[in-house]
Amino acid sequence: MAEDHREPLAGAGALRETLRVLLPHTKEELVPELGEKVERSVVRLLWEAAELFCGGCRRECLQASEAILDYSWEKLNTGPWQDVHKDWRRVYAFGCLLKAVCLFEEPGDGPAVAAALKACDMGLLMGAAIHGDILIKVAAVLQAHLPSGKRPGPGPAQEQPSMKKARDDPVSVPDVALERPVPRLRCPSLQHFRKQFLVPGRPVILEGVADQWPCMTKWSLEYIQDIAGCRTVPVEVGSRYTDEDWSQTLMTVNEFISRYVRSESRDVGYLAQHQLFDQIPELKQDIGIPDYCCLGDGEEEEITINAWFGPQGTVSPLHQDPQQNFLVQVLGRKYIRLYSPQESEALYAHETHLLHNTSQVDVENPDLEKFPKFAEAPFLSCVLSPGEILFIPVQYWHYVRALDLSFSVSFWWS
Amino acid sequence: ALPLLPGARAYVSPRPPFYRPLAPELRARRLELGAEHALLLDEAGQVFSWGQGRHGQLGHGTLEAEPEPRLLEALQGLPMAEVAAGGWHSVCVSETGDIYIWGWNESGQLALPTRSLAEDGKTVAREASGLNEGGPSGGEDGAPAPFIALQPFPALLDLPGGADAVKASCGSRHTAVVTRTGELYTWGWGKYGQLGHKDTTSLDRPRRVEYFVDKQLQVRAVSCGLWNTYVCAVERGES
Repeated sequence: MAEDHREPLAGAGALRETLRVLLPHTKEELVPELGEKVERSVVRLLWEAAELFCGGCRRECLQASEAILDYSWEKLNTGPWQDVHKDWRRVYAFGCLLKAVCLFEEPGDGPAVAAALKACDMGLLMGAAIHGDILIKVAAVLQAHLPSGKRPGPGPAQEQPSMKKARDDPVSVPDVALERPVPRLRCPSLQHFRKQFLVPGRPVILEGVADQWPCMTKWSLEYIQDIAGCRTVPVEVGSRYTDEDWSQTLMTVNEFISRYVRSESRDVGYLAQHQLFDQIPELKQDIGIPDYCCLGDGEEEEITINAWFGPQGTVSPLHQDPQQNFLVQVLGRKYIRLYSPQESEALYAHETHLLHNTSQVDVENPDLEKFPKFAEAPFLSCVLSPGEILFIPVQYWHYVRALDLSFSVSFWWS
Repeated sequence: ALPLLPGARAYVSPRPPFYRPLAPELRARRLELGAEHALLLDEAGQVFSWGQGRHGQLGHGTLEAEPEPRLLEALQGLPMAEVAAGGWHSVCVSETGDIYIWGWNESGQLALPTRSLAEDGKTVAREASGLNEGGPSGGEDGAPAPFIALQPFPALLDLPGGADAVKASCGSRHTAVVTRTGELYTWGWGKYGQLGHKDTTSLDRPRRVEYFVDKQLQVRAVSCGLWNTYVCAVERGES
C-alpha cells in the first residue's frame, strides 16, 4: 500500500468523519430490513442500538451491539450452517458494524483499531452483506488508519522461507514420470475444452491461460502481509481434516504467516477454502476468471473463488466436490493425484454423513490390508506449478500435497 | 413438567411442529431441550438423546445426528436422577450424586480446559499443584492437559471437595449444580453475570457461589434461563 494512505495521529476527526459518511445517517436507514424469522424483541434491540449510535452514546451502543452479537452468534451455531437463516447473519453483520465503529476513541489507539478491524472481519466471515457490503468499506478505512507500527511492511530481517525450510524430513517429491500424467494443453479453444474435457469429465492442465495474471508476478509473502496482514482469517490446524486433532481457528494473516509459514511449527496450519477475495477485494484485482467458466450454466457471480495458502506439507485428503473446479497455482508447487468417479468403490469413502465425500485411504501411505482394492485403482497425477491451471471435473476424486510454500486459487463453477 | 406434556406421550417444541409425540415405550419422566438436541430421562433412570450431534451433545461418541431417541449406552446401568440440557451441552446427575457431562466446551461449560479462556487470560488460576506451569495440567509428570473443544462421550465430573450433586440446570453456555448440602456451583459462560460470582468472567472449572454461603442460605433448586440463573434458597435451620 502506498505511503500516503497512512494518517497517524492527525487523523482523529478525519477517521470518524470518513466512517460517518459511509454509514446510513438515520436510524431508520441504519437498521437492516429483516423478515419474520427474527423475533420482534431482537428487532427492538437493533432499533435501540441504532438510536444509541445516532445519539452518540458510544459506550451504551457498544454494550447493545455485544448483546446483538451474542444472541445472533447462538443462532448461527444452531443447526447446519446451510440452514441458518440469512437474516440472522444480517443481524450478526449489523452487530459487527456497530461494534467496529464504536470500539475506538482515537485512531492512534492501535489495539482498538485492530479490534474494530477484527469485528469487521467477523462480520464478513460469518455475517451476510448489509448496506451494500458496508463492512468491506469500513474495513478498508480502518486498515488505512492503523498506526504505522501495526502495518507490517517488508522489514529488513525477513527471511525467505522457501530457502530456509529445513524441516526434519526433506519433502518427498513423487517421481511423477513413473505415474500416468494429466494431459497438458496450451490455450485450447472453448469448444475443444468443452468437447474433449468438460463434457466427458476428463482432467487437463491448461497452460498459458493464467500465467499473465498480475498475481503471478505480484504475490509474495511481503505483498500478502502488506495488503492483508492485519485481517482475520480462518485457519485449519492439524495435518489433515480427517485427523482427530484437526481444528479450525481464527487469526490474522500476520499471525498465520509468523506461526505456520515462517517458523518451524510442530503443527501444520493451512489457510484453506476461504473466500479471501470477497473479504479483501483489493486482492481480487490481481486474479482473473478462467474464460472456460462461461461454458457452465451459472452466472459469474455464482462462481465460488477460494484461496488456499499454506506452508510446504499441507495435505488435502482424497475427496470429491459437487462442482467443476479450476485450480490455479500461483506460488509454489503442488503434487496432485486424481481418481475417476468410476473408481469410487476402490476408494472407500467414509460412511458418516460428515465425511461421505472423503476417502478413508491415505493416498501416499495406503493401508492396503484394510483397503485392498485401492492398490489397483488407476489414477492420473501431476506436479502443478505457478501459472498453470488444473481442471478437476465435478466429482473427480483429488488428493493434494504442497511441495513448497504454496498459494492456489480455486474456482468452483457449474 | 414442560416441555414434557402430561401423560408423557408428547412434548412441546418452540419450533414447528410444536406438538411432538413420544413413543410410549420410552416412559419419559423428564425431557430437556437444547438449541438443537433433546434429552430424555425415563422411569428407570436411563438417558436418551436425539437431534443434531455436531457439538458432541448427544453423547454417543460421534458427531452424527440422531433422528430418533437413542439410549446413552455409556450410562447404562447407572440410574440417573436428573438430566439438564444447555444450548449445546448435556448434563445428568446420578442417584448417587455423580455428575456426567458432555457436548460443547467452548466457554468451559463442561468444566474442562478450554482454549478461549486461556487465550483471553480469563481462566481463574488453577489451584497450585506444584506441577502447574501456567497451562492446564494433568497427569503426574506435569505435562499440560490438552484443551478440549468438545466431548462427545459422557465424562464424570468431580466437584471440589467431592460434594454430591442433587440437581442440575444448564443455560445456553453455562452449568449450575446444587449439592446435597445445599451449596450451588456454577461454571461456563459468565459474560452476563449468570454464574453469580459477582463478575463477568467465564470459568472452565466449578466454583461455589459464595453469596449463599455468606448469607447462610441453603440452596434447594436451580433453574437456568439462556443467559441467567434462578435459585431457590431457604435460610439454614428452616425445614
